[in-house]
Amino acid sequence: MYIDQLRQEIQFKIVYYGPGLGGKTTNLEYIYSQLDPSVRGELVSLKTKDERTLYFDFLQLKFGRINNKRPRFHLYTIPGQKHYGFSREIILRGADAVVFVADSQPARMKENLDTLADLEKKMIAQKQSLDKFPWVIQYNKRDLVNSMSIESMQASLNFLNVPWHQAVALNGKGVFETLRSVIDLIMVNA
Amino acid sequence: MIPQQARSSNGKRMVFSETMYHNIIKILADLRSRLQAQLTIFADMNGYPIAYDQDVEDVDIIAMTALAAGTFAATAEMAKLVKEKERFRFIYHEGVNRNIYMCNVSKEYIMIILFDKSVAMGMVRILTHNTVEKLEKILEELAREHAKASQFLDVEFKSLLGKELDKYFGIK
Repeated sequence: MYIDQLRQEIQFKIVYYGPGLGGKTTNLEYIYSQLDPSVRGELVSLKTKDERTLYFDFLQLKFGRINNKRPRFHLYTIPGQKHYGFSREIILRGADAVVFVADSQPARMKENLDTLADLEKKMIAQKQSLDKFPWVIQYNKRDLVNSMSIESMQASLNFLNVPWHQAVALNGKGVFETLRSVIDLIMVNA
Repeated sequence: MIPQQARSSNGKRMVFSETMYHNIIKILADLRSRLQAQLTIFADMNGYPIAYDQDVEDVDIIAMTALAAGTFAATAEMAKLVKEKERFRFIYHEGVNRNIYMCNVSKEYIMIILFDKSVAMGMVRILTHNTVEKLEKILEELAREHAKASQFLDVEFKSLLGKELDKYFGIK
């Protein structure tokens, strides 16, 4: 969180975390495509030539004066690939909340678990812990015929009983609900 | 721009006095003027711009700072790969018309300078080095304390924000 008292501006950082190719960037692309240009900045995307996120994606949401204060939300994605571990660490620094985007395909469950463990490890390194930090889970790709049952995914990933949402980020289902829910959590914790 | 609080990497909120901010902006303006640079930004490693001085309107400061922080993250990874114990001290991008020089200011902050190709790189390095020393002195004086966000984020703000978000997000 970053407060500019002279300009009455408050900035929040939300990081979309999750395994590679899970739909983090797709969430931001959908948000960008749906919002009026007056409330969003440009989508800054650093991709490799095969469309994988290289460093991060970044999108700023900027709302007008609310009770004389101007809220800004900075949305970041982390690179899903493991070898960008240090980049993930840097992007996570100073985050106010995390959206964990899990892939619903059975074959990706190990990646989901490994990435969640990695998130927890990085939290601890920053002297924080997932049981006290605001975060939500988004179960993405719910439209796939082989997607795992929600009960099974909940049992494996949501051991802290955090808010969760089902989503199909490609067509926008659940994308704004997830964002709204994580912002609510930030406000509760602020 | 004169923000007053930023959160450091360890989660503590950094509180800058107004005098410190004015001093930082003065230092950035002085560097910009001496280099005839177009933009100088002082930011934290999280990607938040803390203060800047500019002579151009066509640069998105927020995106620029986020990208600079990302670039530092990537080069820190490269430093590790080549067994450097510390991060690289500066990063330089040379364009056809404009160049960008970025450097560490202590371990948690960075400075970004955008300048014309006519400015000599040696001059940039010398003057920037002096500026970093001045900024580090200010950071040494920085009082660290937890600010109470609740004073800023009152109940009314939170409730109105929810309604505003629902309007834009199309949630009923």
